[in-house]
Amino acid sequence: MSYEEEINKNIQENKKLPEKLEISVLRYFWQSNPLIGKTKDSIPRFLRNIDVLNNFSENELRILAKFLHLRKFQPGEVIFKQGDLGVGFYLLYSGYADIIVESNEEDENGRLDSKHILTLEKSDYFGELALLQEISIRNASAVSRQGCELLGLFKPDIEELINHHPVIAAKLLQSVSLIVANRLFSLTREVQELKYKLSALEKEQDAAD
Amino acid sequence: MPQINIVTKRERFKLIFFFSIIILAFVGLSSMPRVSIPLLLGYVIFLIVYPAVPTLEKLGINRTGSIWIVFSSLIFFSIYPFVKIVPTVTAEIENVQYYLPKIEKYVTKKYEETRIEVREKTSFEIGDKYFFQALDWVRKTSTNILLNVPKILASFLEWVFFIPLIIFFLLKDGKSFKRGILRLTPNSIFERFYFLSHQFNKKLGDYIFAKFVEASIVGITITSGLLILNVRFALLFGLLAAVTNIIPYVGPVVGFIPALLFSLAEYGSGTTLGAIIILYVVANAIDIAIVFPILVSKVVDLHPLTVVVSVILGSQWLGMIGMVISIPFAAALKLIAQEVYKEIYQE
Repeated sequence: MSYEEEINKNIQENKKLPEKLEISVLRYFWQSNPLIGKTKDSIPRFLRNIDVLNNFSENELRILAKFLHLRKFQPGEVIFKQGDLGVGFYLLYSGYADIIVESNEEDENGRLDSKHILTLEKSDYFGELALLQEISIRNASAVSRQGCELLGLFKPDIEELINHHPVIAAKLLQSVSLIVANRLFSLTREVQELKYKLSALEKEQDAAD
Repeated sequence: MPQINIVTKRERFKLIFFFSIIILAFVGLSSMPRVSIPLLLGYVIFLIVYPAVPTLEKLGINRTGSIWIVFSSLIFFSIYPFVKIVPTVTAEIENVQYYLPKIEKYVTKKYEETRIEVREKTSFEIGDKYFFQALDWVRKTSTNILLNVPKILASFLEWVFFIPLIIFFLLKDGKSFKRGILRLTPNSIFERFYFLSHQFNKKLGDYIFAKFVEASIVGITITSGLLILNVRFALLFGLLAAVTNIIPYVGPVVGFIPALLFSLAEYGSGTTLGAIIILYVVANAIDIAIVFPILVSKVVDLHPLTVVVSVILGSQWLGMIGMVISIPFAAALKLIAQEVYKEIYQE
């Protein structure tokens, strides 16, 4: 593991960094170097590692990066709430996000029962349906865990991309469709399995009767 | 169970800060009309010319190149009207003052005749207090406008330098300016704010572009018609019809009255008057039947009463520009109100 990878891993895991990197003056001058465009370079590099964007060229990723919005969330801050009108698709740039589903049943305190579905990590994406549906209602809540950074792409950005860079817009929509198609495929398989299990159960019950 | 913390303390502070900036910007701009009017005008022109930028980009020209082409053509095509039309219009406006006494005399004479006729037929005496008051008001207002022409032209000269500058920087830096505002937007309202502001801008842009095309069609039809009929002040009446066309419902009537009075006084109730009436009716019929349904009604979906009320409020707040932006502004407010309604009542 290279030194850079080691440091990156430490940052991700919120571990203490070696002391020499904590020299604030040195860090200040390093970060204020105008030749180092921190987010300018790192966002296209980050996008390169996302599997569904592998049909993009380097230049196309650089253009796409200009349309993404980097949003920082505090620990426990809500990214979006279930039932909200959604217009954006998010990529996890750093940190973790919890996906929570609130059921309609109330617990003993009269509060809606919520269930933690999964935790997303760096390079994961969510909210893609909002880009494709005309009126998209979020079917789960997303909450930042220990603080996170997200790259958001919203409906107005898609419109602008279509007007200014139609090829990139087409590739992006192809990627989003790919994500949706993959999810639909796994859902169909899950439904098939459930149906199979259900019919097996029904057969068992019939045999018992 | 994960804790869903809807609005953190920091977020609340961000929300207060963000809305304070927006309110301050609005208050600041409305208290400085000398800056806000050219800014609004620049923005309106920017919205009209901006669709050309992506079109040029699609042809393979880069963004900076497209902006320079759009800006240079805007300047190039505005020079001719400035050099040619502005002095003609100014001269015509100044010439109008020589015709005003004639029109006034004609209107007074007609009123007197009607009064006598009504008295003879019904023995009812029409009071002339309100008539003279109205006439006095018209006389004072038109003199005021004529006297203010140099003043308007002076501010116009200020605008000639200021507005192109605003348009250029909106074309060049509009995007980064927008991103700057979005960066300040708190997370809890980001998606909604971005989407609504985008819808608002789109509505405003589409509406202004549609109105610009509509006013130009009406203006060109009337000017060319009047030129064919060889009516004096054809350009002025065409321009007036185009400008008043922006105001819904009452605009076309307001634009027609001066031309009607002038032709009555100048040409009498003959064939020229008939031809002028037909011309205005045809131009407005084309507008109502063809141009408006295709261009404008798609953009705004408001009750006629809302349209009239918003135009009145707009004119009171920012004059002519207020009238132009009042309708898309009302449409956008409706959009926001619908969102708020959904938020409050749908849970």
